[in-house]
Amino acid sequence: MADDTSGEIVRVEQLSKTFVLHNQGSAELTAFAEISFSVHAGEAVVLHGPSGSGKSSLLRILYGNYLPSAGRVLIKHRGAFVDIGACDPRVTLDVRRNTINFVSQFLRVIPRVATRDIVMDPLLRRGAAVPEARARAEAMLERLNLPARLWDLPPATFSGGEQQRVNIARSFVHISPVMLLDEPTAALDEANRAVVVELVSEARRNGAAIIGIFHDDEVRKTVATRLFDMAGRNPLAA
Amino acid sequence: MTYQAPQEDLYAVPGGEASPLLIARNVTKYYGAMPGCLDVGFDIWPGEILGIVGESGSGKSTLLGCLSGRFVPTSGEILFDRADGGGLTDIVNLPEPARRRLMRTAWGLVHQNPRDGLRMGISAGGNIGERLMAAGERSYGRVRGAAEDWMDRVEINRSRIDDRPSVFSGGMQQRLQIARVMVSEPRLVFMDEPTGGLDVSVQARLLDLLRVLVRDTGVAAVVVTHDLAVARHLTDRLMVMKGGRVVEAGLTDQVLDDPQHPYTQILTSAVLMA
Repeated sequence: MADDTSGEIVRVEQLSKTFVLHNQGSAELTAFAEISFSVHAGEAVVLHGPSGSGKSSLLRILYGNYLPSAGRVLIKHRGAFVDIGACDPRVTLDVRRNTINFVSQFLRVIPRVATRDIVMDPLLRRGAAVPEARARAEAMLERLNLPARLWDLPPATFSGGEQQRVNIARSFVHISPVMLLDEPTAALDEANRAVVVELVSEARRNGAAIIGIFHDDEVRKTVATRLFDMAGRNPLAA
Repeated sequence: MTYQAPQEDLYAVPGGEASPLLIARNVTKYYGAMPGCLDVGFDIWPGEILGIVGESGSGKSTLLGCLSGRFVPTSGEILFDRADGGGLTDIVNLPEPARRRLMRTAWGLVHQNPRDGLRMGISAGGNIGERLMAAGERSYGRVRGAAEDWMDRVEINRSRIDDRPSVFSGGMQQRLQIARVMVSEPRLVFMDEPTGGLDVSVQARLLDLLRVLVRDTGVAAVVVTHDLAVARHLTDRLMVMKGGRVVEAGLTDQVLDDPQHPYTQILTSAVLMA
C-alpha cells in the first residue's frame, strides 16, 4: 500500500541545526539533530518540548530564516518541492509571498506606518485593490478587538498586547498554504486568545497546514491535530 | 514512517521574469596597487532590492561606483538589459554617450548627500522636471504636473515648488532628490547611504517612503549602507563585504539572523539593541 502523499506540503528530512560561534572559539551549539517528519494540508502539528529544545530554530529553518546544518526541508510550492535552505533567495521570497507565512509574537515594522496600512500591506503585495484590502484589513482589526480610533496610528506607541494583535491581523488577513506560528497567543488576554485559536482553526479547516509552538496547554489541545515531540532530539543535551 | 524519494523538479522561474536586469561577473577595481573591490559577482532581477553592507573601506562604494558607471572596473563584466530587444549590453565597454543616455533614462543615482544630486540653484520643481525635459518632454504644463505629482509622493508641500532646495531641511532635500531620480521611471536605482546624515526620525520616514515607492513602482535597486536596520527594512538580498570581497550573501533576514561568516557574526552582534 503506497503512502498517500498527495496532500503533503512540508517534508523535513534528517534535519540538524548547529550554531557555530566563530568569535567565541568556534563554540558549537546544537539545537537539534536528525529530525524527520512531514505535514499535510489541513493538519495542525504542534511542536512540543521544553524551552531550549530547538522548536523556534526549527520553525525559522522552515521559513528560510535560518539555514540547516545538515538535512533539508522541502516545501510544496507552485506544484513542485522547493529545497528551502538551498534555493535562490528569489525563490525563497516567492515561497514566502505565496506559500508560507511566519507569525511571531513580535511586530517588526517601520515606525511611522499606520496600523491599517500595516495590515493592508500583505494584500497589496499580492495585487489586491485598495478598497478590498482596506475592507478586509478593517474587518480583521475589528475581529481582534482593536478599536477603530487606533487604525490611523502607527503601533509604535501601542501596548505590547495591542502590537501583538496588529501582527496577528497582518498575518491572518491572507492565509497561506503553510502557516508557521511561534507562540502567537503568548501574553494575550483570554478573549483575544480565543479569537486567535479560532483564526488558526479556521485556517486549518480551509486547508492550510499549521506548524506551531503553543505553550498554553488549553490552546495546544484545541489547535493541534498532532504533536511532534522535540524533547530528546538533541543528542548532546544532558 | 517511510519517505519516497523527493521529486527533484525544483522550480525555476518565480515571478515570470525571463532574465536578470543586471549581471555582474568578477568585477574587480584596483586603485594603483590598492584593491577597491575584488571578484564580485551577482544578478539583480526586476523589482529586486539588493543591499551591500560592510564597514568603511570594505569596497562597497567602489563597487557601487563601478556598477553605476562612475568608475571603470580594472576587470570583470557588468551586463545590463536595456530592454530595447538587444539583450544584455556590456556597460563597461559602452561608448560614453550611450552610457550617459542609459544613466539618464534607465538608471537613477541617489547620493548620500542630497547636494550632490540636486541643482541647488534652481527651484524644487525645476529639479524634478529636469530629467523629463532631458528625455524630450517639451510641454511646460506636463512637466509642472509631474513635478507636483512627485512632490505629493515624496510628501513635500506643493506650495514649495518654486523654492530652491537650499532653503529645505536635510530630510526634504533627500526626498526631493528621490523625486528627481524617480520621475523618469528608471528601472534600476543606485542608492549610496540614502539615510546617512539624517536624524533618526527623519530616517524612519524616508525609509518608509522608499519602501512604498519600491513596492508601487517595481523599480530594482542597489542600496549601499552601513546601517543594518536600513538593510533589513529595505532590501530583499544582502551582500556582506570585507576587504573588497563579498564574504557572505543571501536572503537579507537569513544573513542578519543566522550569519555564517565570522565577519558577519561580528557585524550583527555589534549592533546595539534598539
